[in-house]
Amino acid sequence: MFKLNLKIAWRNLFKNKVYAAINIGGLAIGLTAFVLLILFVNHETSYDKWSPDLKNIYQLREYHDYSTPDNQPHWMQVNDSRMAALVRDKIPQFKYVTRIDQDWGDGFSVKLANADPAIVDHFRDTDSLFFKVFPYQFLQGDRFTAINKPNTIVLKQSLAVKLFGTVKVLNKTIKLLMWRDDPGTLMTITGVVADVNMPESVKFNAIIHTGNIDKDPEQINNFRHCEIYASASGKIDITQVNRTLHKIYVDYKKASFVKRKITYADYYKNGKKPGLKIIPLQKVYATPSFDVSWVDRIKPIVAISIFLLLVSVINFVNLATAQSVQRAKEVGVKKVLGAYKKQLVTQFLLESALQTLAALFICIILVEVLLPVFSNHFDVKLSFWRSEQLLNISFQLLGLFVLITFMAGFYPAWILSKYNPVKVLKGNYESGFKGIAMRNGLVVLQFIIAVTLIIGIGVMYQQTNFVANKDLGFNRDKLVNISTYYRDGDLIGERIKKITGVKYVATTTQLMGNTFNVPSEITYNNQEHSVNTVTVTMDALPALGVQVLSGRIFSLEYKKDTVNTAVLNETAAKLLGKNLVGKQFKEGENSFQIVGVIKDYNNEGFDKAVLPTVYRVTHLGGMASTNNLLVRFDSDNYKPALMAVEAEWKKIYPDFPMIYTSVEDAFQKSMEATHKQMQIIVLFSVISVVLSLLGLFALSTFMAKRRTKEIAIRKILGASNLEIINMLNRSFLILVILANLISWPIAFIITKKWLGGFAYRIDMPFWPFAIATITSVIIAVFTVSLQARKAAVNNPVDALKYE
Amino acid sequence: MIELKNIEKYYSSKGIKHYVLRHVTTTIKQGEFVSIMGPSGSGKSTLLNILGMLEEPTYGTFEFLGEDVTSLNERKRIELYRNHIGFVFQAYHLIDEMTVYENIEAPLLYKKVGSSERASRIANLLDKFNIVAKKDLFPNQLSGGQQQLVGIARALATQPSIILADEPTGNLQSAQAEEIMQLFQKLNKEEGITIIQVTHSEKNATYGNRILNIQDGVIKEDSPTQAPQMGGVV
Repeated sequence: MFKLNLKIAWRNLFKNKVYAAINIGGLAIGLTAFVLLILFVNHETSYDKWSPDLKNIYQLREYHDYSTPDNQPHWMQVNDSRMAALVRDKIPQFKYVTRIDQDWGDGFSVKLANADPAIVDHFRDTDSLFFKVFPYQFLQGDRFTAINKPNTIVLKQSLAVKLFGTVKVLNKTIKLLMWRDDPGTLMTITGVVADVNMPESVKFNAIIHTGNIDKDPEQINNFRHCEIYASASGKIDITQVNRTLHKIYVDYKKASFVKRKITYADYYKNGKKPGLKIIPLQKVYATPSFDVSWVDRIKPIVAISIFLLLVSVINFVNLATAQSVQRAKEVGVKKVLGAYKKQLVTQFLLESALQTLAALFICIILVEVLLPVFSNHFDVKLSFWRSEQLLNISFQLLGLFVLITFMAGFYPAWILSKYNPVKVLKGNYESGFKGIAMRNGLVVLQFIIAVTLIIGIGVMYQQTNFVANKDLGFNRDKLVNISTYYRDGDLIGERIKKITGVKYVATTTQLMGNTFNVPSEITYNNQEHSVNTVTVTMDALPALGVQVLSGRIFSLEYKKDTVNTAVLNETAAKLLGKNLVGKQFKEGENSFQIVGVIKDYNNEGFDKAVLPTVYRVTHLGGMASTNNLLVRFDSDNYKPALMAVEAEWKKIYPDFPMIYTSVEDAFQKSMEATHKQMQIIVLFSVISVVLSLLGLFALSTFMAKRRTKEIAIRKILGASNLEIINMLNRSFLILVILANLISWPIAFIITKKWLGGFAYRIDMPFWPFAIATITSVIIAVFTVSLQARKAAVNNPVDALKYE
Repeated sequence: MIELKNIEKYYSSKGIKHYVLRHVTTTIKQGEFVSIMGPSGSGKSTLLNILGMLEEPTYGTFEFLGEDVTSLNERKRIELYRNHIGFVFQAYHLIDEMTVYENIEAPLLYKKVGSSERASRIANLLDKFNIVAKKDLFPNQLSGGQQQLVGIARALATQPSIILADEPTGNLQSAQAEEIMQLFQKLNKEEGITIIQVTHSEKNATYGNRILNIQDGVIKEDSPTQAPQMGGVV
């Protein structure tokens, strides 16, 4: 029976080649998008799963506003280093607590005996307990003693191979330069750990133990911020621990405030509040301190790929039910031959299983082909066959297969098996023709999805265009940022200034791609305001090419500019009031004179609003020690000048290669995430629109076929071809217009929410709505007419002869 | 074999009953060859559908092989289809996607007949109906008469005790029709299969041994046919 059913299924597919192709092809595309998404989700959820012991590791998070991009408090991964000792002493469940320095800058320079220096990133400085907490597998050296002594280093396998060509590197030394004029530290290699094939949230190429973060700063007013991880020996009650943590944190803060002579109430105001908690390491990646987590980021893509899959499933269901007329006789005959309804349902489910299987097969090929492109485009290492989770993936595919088979196959199978043999065998198909309402509903649903997506694309396109052409407020071309600290008068700066083609050399704590915000409170007119403070050198604002709205920007002519003057941006000026130039404001005990107001400039993406900012040259407001050495060239062709800069650098710092990026690149990078997301959304949307139309095309073919007799009779009664085409179009047109009416409000709500994520955004445009409606109607009419025309021009005699 | 007692069938629309069958009471014995005749719309097809359990009467009782089958659940009904009843249709109703062989095989598969038994039965039928050479063809590659032969072969495959035929020759040319009717007669005579057919043709009716004449849902006449004609039978 099974074999015969399989044969029938095959013959049916072959008989309706075009529809089978649309069905299977569409399903394959829908599945491909979905499987890629599954692989991506697998990747994102596989963080910190490479060892079962990682379940017992926790990350400490402190609630503070130090070094946050919006100057608001967040649950930050970096904590006061003193928290490590506190947690170790007060929470007995934790066996080991380790401190890990932040992943600073762009890397360190590694100098091997006779080789050129090379920049290697992701060196993490830790205390001696790192490997007691993290269960890395040691290929060389001993896990528990490797970094006991200072100036020891443990390499990841891949780095060892890259540097030495082998993992047998125990007791060799490498010289590490952490900044440009660092004389370098000789580190002894005391271990090599195996690479981990799954993603890690504590990413490193090498763990170094310099001894720098073994101790907390002695001064109570000085802080070192680092990441803190703790390992427990077994399962712990997180809620319970967090309650204790909060209590000891508050106690600790109170005690430290007494020593620092601040009051608790003074410190925790304006929404600031004390907080310390742990989260499991395995949840760290999904809960970043302030970025949008990957779950939220891919939500729109998840929605669209589900829609895509839905559209292809709908095609499947629609075509199968439309085709059911052809199978009605088979059902009727089989019923009187003694087939149970259940057997018939099974048979038709088998047919959809067959098609789903074919689609899945094509999908797997497509995924294999697309995976490198996809991985490259989204900068993730996705794997399929070689994945650690192949078993997992196989189960997911199996699940998907069963789900799709049932979703696509069950309704048609049910409809078919319900045919009444008496009616069907009498040749009375019309009354046995089921599921029209359902099919119309599905067509409407399909078009709602398609039209909503077209509108979405239109709005996204306009917003992206708007952002791309929006004035940043500063001049980003001919601007290069060398990743190093700089103060006016530094040797390197003086040398660079002398190179022809260099216009300005400067530094700022706020630059696209590398911003270090320092929040502060200022008093103006007896009113307190929260502002962002930025420290710049004299030439920074001219180098950025900001626009002066009133007053002046800093200049060497004014000696006091290095002491107590300030420039405000427009947002800060609005906050303070009018006619500010020449007025004074106070920050703590110091007072500053406002000398000018500049136009806002964006140094983050357009999703974030520009903060009210005070620019100062002095050291009073913070140190200019962010790694930004800004060089403005005076010609578009600045390559030779840049090479001269690099040559000069090499002369002074032979052991530390120059790291730099153009600000234009930094800008493109800040737009990248949105762009990539947009690209995938557009791609998926276009595919689902095309699939909807293919579905409509196939469906209209069937409709035309089904109504062959009706058309023939109408023609004999004197209907013209055009009237016939109109008649066939009308039923679909009603559906498409209905779908449009429904999708307008849906699209409006969704796009409005999306636009809400941008601080700088367009007003809700009308055109995408109009265009989506017009396009969908025109394309639908065109698609249906193609088939309707065929049916209309047929000779009625041919159609009527059959009966 | 078949007992119909006071069978009524009506459809009601807007409170008005439209009778299709009224007070149909009759008995059909094993081995009879009954032709149901009557003008269009007289209810003869409905009667055949009721006999085939494709429709339920609104009133009355129907006993098949001594068992009340007036209203049956699906499972029971299908058991009867698998073991006792064979259908032959005016439009043959072969499954287009199956070859001749597979069409004949289908009911045997539902009946769960073992594969060697299946093969021998099909071979037997193909041989008997002289369609061995056609076994791998699809229905649309056959003439109408040949298709109906396959249809009958399919109906016989499960070795039913009764064949219900709804205008089996309605779509055929007279020569082919005659051939089919002779085949029916032979099956009835030689193998004792009960045959009930609906037909328009007086001539076809004479192949049987009893005629039920229906008019407006009522059996007007129930008479044996004249001396059976055996002429032309192989």
